[in-house]
Amino acid sequence: MSGEGQLRRALSALRHDPLAVTGTAVLTLLVVVGVAGPWLAPAGVNEVNVDRMLEQPSWSHPFGTDELGRDVLSRVMVAARVSLQVGAVSVGIALLVGVGLGLFAGYYRGWLDNVLMRCMDVLFAFPVLLLAVAIVAVLGPGLLTAMIAIGVVYTPIFARVTRAGVLSVREQVFVRAAVSIGASDLRIMRRHVLPNIAAPLIVQTSLSLAFAILSEAALSFLGLGVQPPAPAWGRMLYDGRGFVTEAWWLGVFPGAAIFLTVLAFNLVGDALRDVLDPRQLTVSEARRSAG
Amino acid sequence: MARFVIRRLLQSGAVLLGVTLVVFLLLQLVPGDPVRVALGTRFDPQTYEALRARAGLDRPLVVQYFSYLGRALTGDLGVSFRSGRPVTSIVLERLPATLSLAVTAVVFAMLVAFPLGILSAMRSGSLLDHAARVFSQFGVSVPDFWMGIMGILLFAGVLGWLPPSGYVALTEDPLRWASHVVLPAATVGLVTASILTRFIRSSMLEVLSEDYVRTAEAKGLRTRVVVLRHVLRNALIPVVTVVAVQLASLLGGVIVIEVLFAWPGIGRLTYDAVQARDYPVLQGAILLVAALFLLVNLLVDMLYARLDPRITAR
Amino acid sequence: MSSTRFRLAGAALALMLGALTACTAGESVDVDGADSSGSGGILNAAIGGEPDQLDPHKTSAYYSFQVLENVYDTLVEPDANLDMQPSLATEWTTSDDQLVWTFTIREGVTFSDGSPLTSEDVVYSYNRIISEKLNAAYKFTTVKSVTAPDPTTVVITLTAPTPNLLANLGGFKGVAIVQKTNVESGAVTTKPVGSGPFAVGSYTSGDTIKLVRNDNYWSDKPKLDGVTFTFVKDPTVALQNLRGGEVHWTDNLPPQQVPALRDADGLTVRSVPSSDYWYLALNQARKPYDDVKVRRAVAFALDREAITKAAKFGLATVNQTAIPRNSAFYYDYAPFQRDPGQARQLLDQAGVSGLTMDLMVTSEYPETVTAAQVIAAQLKEVGITVKIRTLDFGQWLDEQGKGNFDSFMLGWLGNIDPDEFYYAQHHSGGTFNFHKYRNPTVDRLLDQARTETDQAARKRQYDQVAKQIVDDASYIYLYNPDVVQGWSPQVSGYEVRTDRAIRFRDVALAK
Repeated sequence: MSGEGQLRRALSALRHDPLAVTGTAVLTLLVVVGVAGPWLAPAGVNEVNVDRMLEQPSWSHPFGTDELGRDVLSRVMVAARVSLQVGAVSVGIALLVGVGLGLFAGYYRGWLDNVLMRCMDVLFAFPVLLLAVAIVAVLGPGLLTAMIAIGVVYTPIFARVTRAGVLSVREQVFVRAAVSIGASDLRIMRRHVLPNIAAPLIVQTSLSLAFAILSEAALSFLGLGVQPPAPAWGRMLYDGRGFVTEAWWLGVFPGAAIFLTVLAFNLVGDALRDVLDPRQLTVSEARRSAG
Repeated sequence: MARFVIRRLLQSGAVLLGVTLVVFLLLQLVPGDPVRVALGTRFDPQTYEALRARAGLDRPLVVQYFSYLGRALTGDLGVSFRSGRPVTSIVLERLPATLSLAVTAVVFAMLVAFPLGILSAMRSGSLLDHAARVFSQFGVSVPDFWMGIMGILLFAGVLGWLPPSGYVALTEDPLRWASHVVLPAATVGLVTASILTRFIRSSMLEVLSEDYVRTAEAKGLRTRVVVLRHVLRNALIPVVTVVAVQLASLLGGVIVIEVLFAWPGIGRLTYDAVQARDYPVLQGAILLVAALFLLVNLLVDMLYARLDPRITAR
Repeated sequence: MSSTRFRLAGAALALMLGALTACTAGESVDVDGADSSGSGGILNAAIGGEPDQLDPHKTSAYYSFQVLENVYDTLVEPDANLDMQPSLATEWTTSDDQLVWTFTIREGVTFSDGSPLTSEDVVYSYNRIISEKLNAAYKFTTVKSVTAPDPTTVVITLTAPTPNLLANLGGFKGVAIVQKTNVESGAVTTKPVGSGPFAVGSYTSGDTIKLVRNDNYWSDKPKLDGVTFTFVKDPTVALQNLRGGEVHWTDNLPPQQVPALRDADGLTVRSVPSSDYWYLALNQARKPYDDVKVRRAVAFALDREAITKAAKFGLATVNQTAIPRNSAFYYDYAPFQRDPGQARQLLDQAGVSGLTMDLMVTSEYPETVTAAQVIAAQLKEVGITVKIRTLDFGQWLDEQGKGNFDSFMLGWLGNIDPDEFYYAQHHSGGTFNFHKYRNPTVDRLLDQARTETDQAARKRQYDQVAKQIVDDASYIYLYNPDVVQGWSPQVSGYEVRTDRAIRFRDVALAK
């Protein structure tokens, strides 16, 4: 089955799965808010007004105001961008590095494979969040370091998935044929191997986006992610934690935003997996350590 | 079998060696002088020199690594930049709290996941099955710290049934320990339960669809007997692995929950060490967690090999 | 989360935690029915964080001093008004030239392990601080020698008259008298031995420190059997624990709930103004902050009430000078009222427009992060764009030391004597003058007032200093926070102190 054929099947499957449709709709909405958030938001994210602090949800502030009198709805909206950005960049890093390593390891086998995969084993021996926290501790907290840390942490998953795919594709007739006509290794990898392992990678990407966003929220909740005054969902929970007993809206809305985003990615990822990757990659392992 | 054991042992050893290298390099990657940064306001030349010498930072990198490794092998993980106490004892002190939370959470998760997973597989497509799938999707997607906050708000705040946080050692007062462990264990356990439910369900479904089950059913054995005698036993073998892996990662992975509930375990130790830039403690905690993780995985593989002899042939 | 961790002295903050109140303070306490001679129960105190270590000379965390306050003694100690009273020293005399101080050490004092405390221990403690350059070493800059001619006499020889020597020797437990064997064995970091009312019983890292009554205590025996300090980072949780009865006392209350708590039944919540102050400093080694007009523009752009409300929920007093209202050295001067027009005008005069200002704050003190966001919003209105830089404290200090900042916000905690409020911060040669303020008049006045023994003249000199510093906007002072603590109705005999010393010696717990 070719890569394009798989993609077509995936898309049509998504159309017919109500959960996947819901997930896709939520994601679309998120992307719109993420891109246009600052223009859509009813108020500026850093419009401080200490005379209106901790006001409960009302028509003028549908999600209430925070401890500095800022509009929570606006901050939740603008924070969507941060979450999506962290998800995209960190998974992008993991995807690039992981797929690269996995390709080489799986294609060339031998000692290179051994060394690379043992390195991945080493990274796998750390719980995800613990490793991310350690990396941030070394590099210092912030948006960039959080993205790097999460990217590093999710690299081994992509390397393993890629390698497993390469190993099964490698021995197939069309790859051997390409080798026999003298095609270069890089060309074979690009033209023949990659398209045929696209399916599990797409699934893994979708699911990893969910975990990456969750990890970023956890890092920010520990005060190690996005730094104020930039809004981020995890950070909003961190800042609002002291106030939730008298201002429930500070705890409910940012948390719900994280939940819905992660849920949407998971729904889409699961639906994709049902069609594309019946072998079932171990999503659970990754999720567990995300918390 | 023996060859398999030896191979796995060697593999784990190699990975552990890699882990020590990563942990060692963490300190080297700190921009600037880690001791100076860690001391901060408490800077005084004597302490500074003593800590630097103790951490061996004045020697070449390779020498530093091998001496770190050598000392680690004898159980010496250096001294805390913050308190000057040996890292090994600091880290080991935190183990009971983490252990008791992790075990409780896994037990809780199993109590929820086994009935739910088995029943939903047996009545695939039923209302219960759908409920189970919603539950597991919820559990996998919800941020555990958010659940924790909501749990504290509800059970400690509004209802006042449980203490909002804190820790009492099991050995000190089992009842008070129990009242403190409920909320964090349930929060962590919820996520674990949803992963387990998923896994048990699909594992059951897989076995249920195999030929011998169909044969047994065709022979007229009642479904329940079939389930108990054949399916469960075969379906549980892979579940054992998942449970153990979950337990292993809980041993070091619940930083956020331990911070939220002021649970003095490894996770909180790590967090505090990060805050205080106490790198030796951070290194020690991470090393211990990774070693535990490898050990549990090794044991699981051995167990698995015993339960299912096909594995060793792989 | 909003708990503030106080880091002490050595490099950036002088935290001078007071000692026990005067020996007589506890005698009037009468507890309804509680047996004062024993079986007084264990008091559970929730503090906002964990001590880094328990060596009083080396620790820098306020959390350590909360515990050590009850474990150690100093030669003299501040009473409720922060006047120095006898403690381990019963009396002292000063030579005519003010250069030799002779202290008489209390007889019959022992450490909690029963070994005697003599003048030798005082000499050992002070020399340790001085020779090892420990945190409190700067309090001994004028000390030439410390000697013990006999077991009950300590002689301190100075290089210059030091009117605030008593404050230096008793201001906080960072100058406590330690036991040599305890220090040399290294046990002092986890199991310190002092002569105070309680002794450290056990320490569970990450969780609790348990103190037990010191039956060898030289003054009235404490009524409590012991004190258990639990580390509760989250103020909401601390409050819930207090309400639930698991905790009897805490200083880690959610600030926004304090006004309601003060009126509520069932808990006692008290606050007193502290001698701490929080301020904004602009780097005068950098353009355009070398221009006083720019600094004054910033001062005019700020709305201190709003900053205080956001950072402390009103649990603070706005102040444009450093020394708080309740001090004898308070100087009433407030030239800056929020005036964006004037601020813009000053910026115009300085020829500054479109200024982007880096503001360095630290997550160690969350109130600086909160206040910075309000400051940024206010400065935006006069055309200054603020870039907030949040660092952890180690890095923050590093940057401060290197002068890598346009501006920063921080506080000075627990100062008592005006010299501590001004000299190191604003003298051109001052240790903590990281913002490079330089004014010869201020230098001269500070040098003069430092050794001035006539109190009235000293006050006049410090008033001049205060006015000049405010006019020059060397520091832009913001507020003096309150000390807020709460306890259950079972607790009696406890007083909140302006120097944040947590003292349980005279406390009793009703059953």
